[in-house]
Formats: sequence, C-alpha cells, structure tokens
Amino acid sequence: MKKVLLIMMVMGTMLFAQSKPGQSRFLVRGYAHSGLEIYKDESSFVGGSFNPIFLWQQSDRLLFEAELEFELENGETHLALEYANMSYILNEYATLRLGKFLLPFGTFAERLHPAWINRLPSRPLGFGHDGVGPARDLGIELRGGLPLGDAKMNYSVYVTNGPSLNDGLNPAIEQEEAGMLLYDNAEDNNKNKAVGGRVGFLPLSNSSMEIGFSGQYAKLGDNESKYEDLAALLYAVDFSYVSRVSFLNGVIDVKGQLNGVNVDNADYFNVEDSSMYSFTNNSQSYYAQLSYRPAYVSNDFFKDLEFVGRYSALTFPDGALWESDQTQYAFGVNYWIDWRTVVKLSYQVSDAGGHGNEGEEAGESTDAILLHWSFGF
Amino acid sequence: MKLKRISKYTIVAIFFFAALFVLESCSSKNASAAKPGAVLWGENCIRCHNAPSPAAFSDEQWETITLHMRVRASLTANETEKVVEFLKMAN
Repeated sequence: MKKVLLIMMVMGTMLFAQSKPGQSRFLVRGYAHSGLEIYKDESSFVGGSFNPIFLWQQSDRLLFEAELEFELENGETHLALEYANMSYILNEYATLRLGKFLLPFGTFAERLHPAWINRLPSRPLGFGHDGVGPARDLGIELRGGLPLGDAKMNYSVYVTNGPSLNDGLNPAIEQEEAGMLLYDNAEDNNKNKAVGGRVGFLPLSNSSMEIGFSGQYAKLGDNESKYEDLAALLYAVDFSYVSRVSFLNGVIDVKGQLNGVNVDNADYFNVEDSSMYSFTNNSQSYYAQLSYRPAYVSNDFFKDLEFVGRYSALTFPDGALWESDQTQYAFGVNYWIDWRTVVKLSYQVSDAGGHGNEGEEAGESTDAILLHWSFGF
Repeated sequence: MKLKRISKYTIVAIFFFAALFVLESCSSKNASAAKPGAVLWGENCIRCHNAPSPAAFSDEQWETITLHMRVRASLTANETEKVVEFLKMAN
C-alpha cells in the first residue's frame, strides 16, 4: 500500500510538472479495463488492471517510455513494471533501445496485448503469462523500418538476459513444471545472453499486410549446474491484414501468430515418485483471429459495432508433468464508444483435449461469457 | 477432436477471405515516400488500433506520441514527419 501511495505521489508531481514550459515533454497515457466473467459454476466482477504509460521526450531523438501495471488479484493489488526503456534515434532507419522492453517476438506481446487494442476480453491460449515464448526482457535492441520500393520492411535485433530453466530442483518454484522456461528475469542466471530478432515484411503498397518472422536462441541453465549448456530455440511467425473492404462497407482485420519453443532434451527429477525422467521438450501455441467492423454504413449505431472470432491452441510437451493440449474458440461483439474506449462481450469455449490440466478432467470443455470494458487514454 | 476438425476449416476460410481482400487492395500503387500524411496516418495506425482523431491530443502531445509510435511501429522518419504534420494541420 505504501508503494502504491508513493507512486501516486510521484505521478501527481509529474502531472504538475507537465504544465511547465520547456524543451522536455512529458506525457501520461495508458489504459484500464475491468469486467464481468461468468463460468459454469461461478461468476465474478474482475478488477482488471490500470496501466499508466509515462513518456518523456528529451529531444527529437531521445525518448523514455515506461509502463506500470496495477492489477487486482486474489484481493490484493499487485504492481509490476511492464517496461522501462530509453530509445535513441540513430538515423532515419535505426533506433537504439536500452532497458526493459516488450520483445518483438511476433506481434501480440509487443503491439496487440493492451486491453483497448486486443479485440477480445481474453488473450489467445499460450499468449498470456506462463505462455509459449517471451513477452518482455532486459537488454539492448536495434530496430527500425525501411522502404523497399512500393513495399516496406521492419527489423529488430536484440541481446537480452533471456529465459532461464525451471530445473525442478528449487522448492520455491513449482517443481512439477521442470523443463518449463521462466521469462522476464530481472537478473541473468548465467553468463550467456539471449540473441534474437524479428523481420517484418509489408509487401503491399498500402501497408495493409504484414508477415513477420521472429527467432531467439539462449542457453538456459544456472552457472555450473548440470543444465549449464542446455539451450532453447524459440521461433514465431505472425500475420496481419487490415483493410477497408468496399463491398462490405467496413474494415476487416485478420491476425494470426504461431509461437514455438524447442528446448534441448534433459533428465529431470520427478517430485511425484522421486525418479528421473525426460521428454521431448517442445511447446507450441497459435491463434487466428478475424474481425469485421461495418465502419462505413450510414447507421451511427452499427458503424460502432465490431464482430470478432478467434481460434487458439496450446500444446505443452507429452511426457512432462505439465503436459497439456488445449483449444479454444472465442466469439465476440464489441461496441466502440470512441476510438480507444470499448465494451466487449464474448462467448468462449475451451477444450482441455486429451490431457486435463490441474482441476480439469481430460476432454473437459469450459464455457465462459465475458463482458469487459476497456478505456485507453 | 470435433473442435480440431472444425479448426482446420476455420483457418482455411480465414486465409481464403484474406486472399480475396488482398487481391482487392493490390490496386493501390503509391510508394510510401510519395504518400501524404493523411494516408500514412490511416494506413499505419489501423494496423494495430483504431486511428485517433487529430483532435484527440494537442500539437505538442502529437510530437511525443508520434515519436513513441515511430519506435513502437518501426515507422521511417519520412512517414513520422508527414503524419505529425497532418495531425497538427488537422487539429
């Protein structure tokens, strides 16, 4: 609570400073969301989150950005630093970024996850916390965009702390999840750094389509542990197509992303029967989403509606104690109050597939109705 | 199992419609460097989120926001300058 009050005081001071003239520019933006979630046996209003974003522009070349996340969870307010980094424009086509930043591993984590941008109240399977692939990390990045005739491309290369390995030996971490990667590490657990990047191509002259390829390679284990040389190759492919479609009097938006994590094989300690075991440690998740907004019809109510459908799937490795095979369909209707404020109503059905998760029977389906409201500012 | 079978058809349908819409948009032939700021504003913002009204922020705020978006969306300097000029003019 003291932390929250201190942060609110600092924010207040900065807001006051915003009105002063000068070369430096300071801006608070961000978003918030909350909602009502109805499942088979329970329903609850959920607190959602409040995410202030702080922007300091020191010059035409220098920008600092930071995002905090205040989230209500289990009756407590949790505070997290989503990112905090400095960007320096090197030249027309290159920017250097230092600090903690959203990783360009596909596009969902970096561009699409905020509640006022994500078209559905929930995230695709495998794209939230404990998902397949990283969302943010500490390090250094070179990024930019280039024209290619009528087309364009963008790129990013980075070096970060990288993921570490849950080796199943630390009682403070869930031991039954041995072999799973742990992301967003405040300190590196070894001397190795993760190296990764993304290349995006926008082949059409109106920039309506983008295809991106991402990769990351990192060693995972603690120094001088038996897992020291264990490595992981992470990859992602993303697709986006957004365009006005005249015969539909509206805009269609197609998004998709495939994430994969391949970890070298290793033996792990089984906490359930004290034996050693191994498995092919490959995980994958993907989603495909289509939305349509009749933005160019004459009726003022219908032009602010949006219809969304999404399919997502998640596979954790067979043989692991955390093996899982899940699929989910989500369908929604959104009403845009303005360009950054939306009410989202959705129905989603999730299938645990051949392997049940904790508390679920194998093959069990879970239906949910979600009503969320999101506010960008 | 039934869900998995349906999912294949869903994905094929999505990419079929995407291909149709791509063909429709191929008629546009303007290189990015020659496009006015209003066009770049419409094309680039909507790739991730709804395009904001120029009246949503002040001229000074737009300068900071477009610099932020230049980094986040990997826009070129030329695109960023044109978009901020348009937003200030239309504000």
